[in-house]
Order: sequence, then C-alpha cells, then structure tokens
Amino acid sequence: RPHSDQVSPGGPDSQGGPGGPRAQGGSGIPDGQGGPGGPGSPGDEGAPANSVADGALTMLLPPTLTVPFRSPLEAEMARRAMAPEAQRHQQAVQKECAVNGSVLAVRWTAEDPGLLQISINSFLDLLVRVVRNIRRMRPTVPLSLGRGKGG
Amino acid sequence: MPAVLGFEGSANKIGVGVVWDGTVLANPRRTYVTPPGTGFLPGDTARHHRAVILDLLEEALTEAGLTSQDIDCIAYTKGPGMGAPLASVAVVARTVAQLWNKPLLGVNHCIGHIEMGRLITGATSPTVLYVSGGNTQVIAYSEHRYRIFGETIDIAVGNCLDRFARVLKISNDPSPGYNIEQMAKRGKKLVELPYTVKGMDVSFSGILSFIEDAAQRMLATGECTPEDLCFSLQETVFAMLVEITERAMAHCGSQEALIVGGVGCNMRLQEMMETMCQERGAQLFATDERFCIDNGAMIAQAGWEMFQAGHRTLLSDSGITQRYRTDEVEVTWRD
Repeated sequence: RPHSDQVSPGGPDSQGGPGGPRAQGGSGIPDGQGGPGGPGSPGDEGAPANSVADGALTMLLPPTLTVPFRSPLEAEMARRAMAPEAQRHQQAVQKECAVNGSVLAVRWTAEDPGLLQISINSFLDLLVRVVRNIRRMRPTVPLSLGRGKGG
Repeated sequence: MPAVLGFEGSANKIGVGVVWDGTVLANPRRTYVTPPGTGFLPGDTARHHRAVILDLLEEALTEAGLTSQDIDCIAYTKGPGMGAPLASVAVVARTVAQLWNKPLLGVNHCIGHIEMGRLITGATSPTVLYVSGGNTQVIAYSEHRYRIFGETIDIAVGNCLDRFARVLKISNDPSPGYNIEQMAKRGKKLVELPYTVKGMDVSFSGILSFIEDAAQRMLATGECTPEDLCFSLQETVFAMLVEITERAMAHCGSQEALIVGGVGCNMRLQEMMETMCQERGAQLFATDERFCIDNGAMIAQAGWEMFQAGHRTLLSDSGITQRYRTDEVEVTWRD
C-alpha cells in the first residue's frame, strides 16, 4: 500500500514542487489553542465505514473547528479543496487551516463577530459540500494525492 | 486528444460540460429561478448549485459515455461572477480533481463564452459583443489578449432587462429576458428613453431609473402598455449595443461580428446586428440558447484550449475572484 506522500503524476498539483500533503499542513495548529480533540481524534481508525467525517465537530474558543475524517488523506484533500477560499477577505477575517493526522483544524481570527459568523457559516457550507463529494465518490478515492506546491 | 470536464456556476445557471477535440459530448444545465418580482441572491444561488452539482456531474459523464478515467482535465469558472456560487462550484472542482487525480484549470467566464462562440460558429477573428446579465463588453482579439474596446460603465444590459422585469413582475421562468422579448413582440408604441452611448462605452443605470419611474406613471394613466415598455427598452438598449459594436468593427477593420452571452439569444438583437453587418458587408455569427446562456461546455472548451497550450492551475492558486477582467488572461493558444 503506497505511503500517503508518494508522488502521483497528473494530479491537480502535478507541476511539481517541494513536499507532499504533510509538508503543508503537518505543523498544525499548536496544542492548547484549539488543536484536535473531542471524539474522532486522530488515529481513530475504527470508524464506521459509511461516514467520511467521524464523530462530532468540535468548536473551541478562540473560534477553532476540528473536523475528524476517516484518514489523513481525506483530511488533506478537504483542506486543499477549501484553503484557496480561505484567502478571500483576509483583511477582515483570518483563517488558518491545518491537518493533524486525520483531523482538519481551522482557526479564525476576527474583530467583528458578525463577519466571523459569516465566515464560519460559509466555511461549514463548503465543508458539507466537500464531505458529500468525497462520500459520493468514495469508490474512486485515490490511495495518494498528487505532489503539492503551496496547496 | 484530451477530454475536458467544465464546471460553470458564476450566476444562477449551474452547468457541467464535457468537450473532446472540438466536440461537445455533454452539456446538462440547471437554472435557479426565483419568483416574479425578485432576483437571485448569492447565498440562495449557491445553495441551489450545491444541491444539484453532483447529479449534473453524473449526468454529464453518462451523456458523454465517459468515466472519470477518460477525463484529462477539470476546468471550472474562476471568475468573474457572484462570490458564493463561484466558491461552491470551485470547491467541487478541486475535490473532483484530487479524487480523480487530474490537473485543474481556472477559466475566465467571459473567455469561455468567446471560445464556445468561436467553436460553434467557426468565426475566425470576430468583433465580439458579449452581453449577459453580468457583463456587457465589446471585445476583439489582438496580440494574445482579448481586448475590451467598449463596455458598460455601470450595469450590464441583461441586468437592466432583468431588473425592469421585476418592476413589471414578469416571470423569471425560463428567464426574465426571454419573457421581455416575447412581450416586446406585442408592443406597438415606442416610448422615448434616454440613449446613453459614451464614446466606445454604454450606460444603462440611468435608462433603468427612467423606465422604472416611467412605468409607474404611464401604466397608471394608460398612456402605454407593459408590452410597449418592453419593446421600447429593447429597441433603445439594443441600438446602443449595435452602435458601439459597429464603432469597434470600424476601428478594427473587422468583417465578422459574434454575439455571445445570454442576451445574445434575443432574436431582436440578432436582427438589429444583422442589419448593421449587412450594411457594412460584414458577417454576423450567433449561437442558440444551448451555448449563449451560461453552460459548462463553454468552460470545458476554453479549458481544452488552455490545457493544450500548457496552462495549469495549482490548487494554491485556484481561488475564485469576483472581478476578473477579460483582458487579464494571456491567450497563448492563438497566434
């Protein structure tokens, strides 16, 4: 079974560049500031086969959301799918996405609670779409991702 | 030859298309229609697109007779358009690209229209009139860019028509512009409206304000009918578009005109443009509603051209942008 960092030609980032999935999200959000926690913690490999995101989402303060996935691969896939949208409106709301094991962790920083709420709601809408997308296409989930570059 | 899958969802139409070597293999589409008197809001539109996009994807592959393995590239609308709908579609394109391990391509929506218009009509190097609910531009190709020769300085012509339709509570099904066109055919009286061509550019916001006010007054007194107003609005705004297109054609020495965009389906606009072209000895090209109105195949076609020319979009650069000028893209696939 290939390691998850194995280079796979032809993928969305196949132009090359340093690092694989963990190089981008591996540092994660430091523990104690909203790192992964709650049910479905990383390394929980015994999850039900019919759920993409295992266990409950965890919301901590400062606003940090942790979303457990079935595998590090799927968590990284979700991060790569949503990260480009995190760069919009960066002046008003800062959002950091990171993958720790099988958990996608997202932390928000904003002064305006209204904008913060909008950003979180919008993120959750996209997250639902990504999770449903992966779930529906689950039979074709690749064993590895293409080599990433700033993705 | 590669097969390219294209996702489009910048406004209220969501489409998924498949193009292979200049042939449209599939092009299913759904439209988010709101009640009469209302327009479509970004959040609701995004929700509509999210609900149907995966079904459309399956439909497109089935219609094309292909599987994920047969697809060589995933193209999607990077912009311009409405933020939430664009983002909803882009996130699916990114997920699909990763799941299927295919390269990703962000496409400019306007260029999608142009490339589909060129493919379907065979026009070689036309002056393009791009008219839709979100955009109004006169475009011509020069030195690897689609140059904007003239455009609206405020709202798009389709936006003007759609917002007028709301005033009259005209149905949005199948589209407000289509229903205005049908009503205009029954109009008998030409109501004088402001005619606002400004050099190479046009302005529609003043016309809209004027006709919204006129509608209330004149319909109340019976001075004219809603059909007369629809007729008058079309005649005025379309004449403006014909003028700026002709001006661009004269500037470029162009003998071809191509109409693209949803408003391009309007037969009266096509008729007026045809008259102008005939007077100049030029040829007019236009497509039907399958390709005039926003669709996935146009994104796939532009993506196909870009893919063949070596373009790729990294995931880190694949964010959407609501403002994306037509002339920002380097058109490396043309001489």
